Amino acid sequence: MGRYLARRLLQSILVIFGVTLFSFLSLHLAGDPTLLYVNERATDAQIAETRHRLGFDRPLYEQYLAFMGRLVRGDFGKSLVTKTPAMELITTRLPATIELTVFAMLLAITLSIPIGLLAATKRGTPYDGGIMLFAIFGQSMPSFWLGLMLMLYVGLHWKILPISGHVPLLDPLLAGDFKTAIGNIPRALQHLIMPGVTIAMFSLSRNARLIRSSMLEVLALDYVRTARAKGLRERTVIIRHAFRNALIPFVTILGLEFGFLLSGVVVVETVFSWPGVGRLVFNSINQRDIPVVQATVVFFSLLFVGLNLLVDLIYARLDPRIRLG
Amino acid sequence: MSRLRYAATLLILVALIVGALPSSPAKAQAPGPDEKTLVIAQSQDVQSLDPPQVGSRTDDNIVSHMFATLYEIDDFGNIVPFLAKDYRISEDGTEVTFVLNEGLTCHDGEPLTAEDVVYTFKRAADPANGFTGNTPGFVFASVAYKDARVDSELEATIVLERYQSIALGLLSEVHIHCKDSYEKMSLEEAQSNPIGSGPYKFVEWVKDDYLLMEKWDEFTLRDPYFDRIVWRVIPEASTRTAELIAGNVDVITNVPPDQHAAVNASGNASVVPVEGLRRIYVGFNFTDNFQSECADAIKKTEVRVALQYAVDVPTICEALLGVPCERATGLVNKPNDHPDLEPYPYDPAKAEELLDAAGYPRKGDGVRFECTLMAGRNRYLNDVNVVQTICQYLDDIGVKTNCQLMDFRAEFIPLLVNQQAGELFFVGSGGGNWNALYEMADFASENSNPNYGRWSNPEWFNRWRSLSNIRDPQEERKVVLEMLEVFYNDPPWILLYMQPDFYGVSNRLDWQPRRDERVITFNAKLK
Repeated sequence: MGRYLARRLLQSILVIFGVTLFSFLSLHLAGDPTLLYVNERATDAQIAETRHRLGFDRPLYEQYLAFMGRLVRGDFGKSLVTKTPAMELITTRLPATIELTVFAMLLAITLSIPIGLLAATKRGTPYDGGIMLFAIFGQSMPSFWLGLMLMLYVGLHWKILPISGHVPLLDPLLAGDFKTAIGNIPRALQHLIMPGVTIAMFSLSRNARLIRSSMLEVLALDYVRTARAKGLRERTVIIRHAFRNALIPFVTILGLEFGFLLSGVVVVETVFSWPGVGRLVFNSINQRDIPVVQATVVFFSLLFVGLNLLVDLIYARLDPRIRLG
Repeated sequence: MSRLRYAATLLILVALIVGALPSSPAKAQAPGPDEKTLVIAQSQDVQSLDPPQVGSRTDDNIVSHMFATLYEIDDFGNIVPFLAKDYRISEDGTEVTFVLNEGLTCHDGEPLTAEDVVYTFKRAADPANGFTGNTPGFVFASVAYKDARVDSELEATIVLERYQSIALGLLSEVHIHCKDSYEKMSLEEAQSNPIGSGPYKFVEWVKDDYLLMEKWDEFTLRDPYFDRIVWRVIPEASTRTAELIAGNVDVITNVPPDQHAAVNASGNASVVPVEGLRRIYVGFNFTDNFQSECADAIKKTEVRVALQYAVDVPTICEALLGVPCERATGLVNKPNDHPDLEPYPYDPAKAEELLDAAGYPRKGDGVRFECTLMAGRNRYLNDVNVVQTICQYLDDIGVKTNCQLMDFRAEFIPLLVNQQAGELFFVGSGGGNWNALYEMADFASENSNPNYGRWSNPEWFNRWRSLSNIRDPQEERKVVLEMLEVFYNDPPWILLYMQPDFYGVSNRLDWQPRRDERVITFNAKLK
């Protein structure tokens, strides 16, 4: 177990190192960001002074080492634009992003199961055809376009849901203001639906197709035929026997779902004016606010690497075959 | 086991995330418009609420409602008193003394005096603070700021290195803030805790969502109609338009031409076009950074004049910008431009004739010479289509033009300021309608940064240097007109147009946008 732990820890450190190096180089190789922090009429002397103050006149390796030195002390640096600590910028926006991502994840999971089951059990019928058409459509259309269409029809023309904006849910909860949090729930849900559907659409469609194909495979197996031969009700055969086994590939990909959905928030938060981390990253990249971009990348990398490490350790503890592997 | 893995993943994820979250005061939802609440949507959130750090138009719009200036430039380009009721300039022109109105108070309740004015200037100029906004980055450099001093409780003097005839207008861009509160704050705290001096007082800023300000009743120099202003952040243009049509916001900026019809047909809002002050042009690169026939050709005045005739600017405006326009005759906006200069007409035959005469006939393949025109993407109104059209116009007269469009900030600007953005470059420069010299300062020297192509006509720059010795406004105007003729006859730009601006304005609102892209709402009211 000790060797396994050491190996996994070393791998995680290498991954984090690779992520920091890649994000650092990709931001710096695009050119000198100093010009974004001076007035367009600034003199050469002012530009040089700003470059020096921001540390961009130092060799790249020095800048990287300084960045890593701060990082190991837990200092993610300060935003070049707002002068506030980068981690503070991330954590103040994180609740809004979590609300959106968790909601999208719930949609993608809870809706895809009945849709996939229906398609599998009604194979070859118009239900199946319609669902598969919907699934292909859902996987094909860009989230940007879907968001705008929802906004145009559901928000503007039919006036069913608010067009954009955010009503906080986690913020009052974290501040201990439970009354406000509960009171916000109905309006928060209204604001969540359109961006949530936009983010979830791809996963929802993919999951529905996955469940359908997995179910079709399981339904053809001998033990399902045996269950039917025993005289069990079709519903029992589907739910208790076939579905449980058909879920295995679905559950496997769910581990990666949260990360996948998080990657979709950048576009959707911009379209729906959602004040989350996605918007922060988008703006920071535009402004070449290097410390904030690096902090965001490193923060999420640490989160997922740490998470995977912990899960693997739990796995190893529970299943000796993994340790041997 | 897979489900176990999944459950463990979720549990750990939730624990990690909740542990990382701050316990901050609960945020609220952005208020909507009502009888006394005005809602304005901008594409970007404010970056800093500390006045010397303010450098963008979106930040300036917000800060200008909370922080007053000594004088201000009104909607029509007049410089009028604001916090100061009077000013005087010393005989040698290096000292500008402002006399403040009596009874002014800061938003912290302290009296606003000359001490606060001097503190504002000294704080912005202090290199230890590292401010890079408009005041230290542009105003101070342009007026040659030297120092500031208190003369009496209500009199403050700004000391300049040399006389500058547009000093008053430039100093009108400095937002005054109050010593007592700012001395107690760190630079970091000052970013988001503005203690203002203007008609509206800061209430709340939910980052990337909205900023709320309320009328400061003790401010007696202006009496705005609205009690509250909400500045919402809506990055996507289509979303801003949808919110305007739905009646959730009152004012939006930069309505794309393809959405004008939808806004006007909504019955809730209208598009208000404004003759903007931003000068859009194609610059010539005079440096030796490019070794090409084009680089040599554009150094000749007659070639640059010929290229003026190749571009049909009124058609570009009508077809691509959605409004008619008159072609610019120089770098100065009306009413300070040269009244006798006629815009270059669209006359491709004449352009070809002039190029033939300049020694650049069409070769066997029909091409005279080949140029590269670089431009940023999506920075100015319909810029991609405008640039491609210009390239086609130049192609038509035998100047084969390779259009290179790129990201404005990350790619184009670094090339532009290093004179590497092709032999030709498409760009816009913010203008003003209060003084010609303000706009002409783009060419304050052969090496000034906005002189991106490093134009060096001695007839222009000798006159520019002579202006610092001229006190008589009529004599100054005479020199200005001479310089504008030099600019017209030896053009460093292919002269295009002043960019029209399109504001979406709710039909409930009585408000006229300004020409200088600033959103100032002191005179806005309900119809």
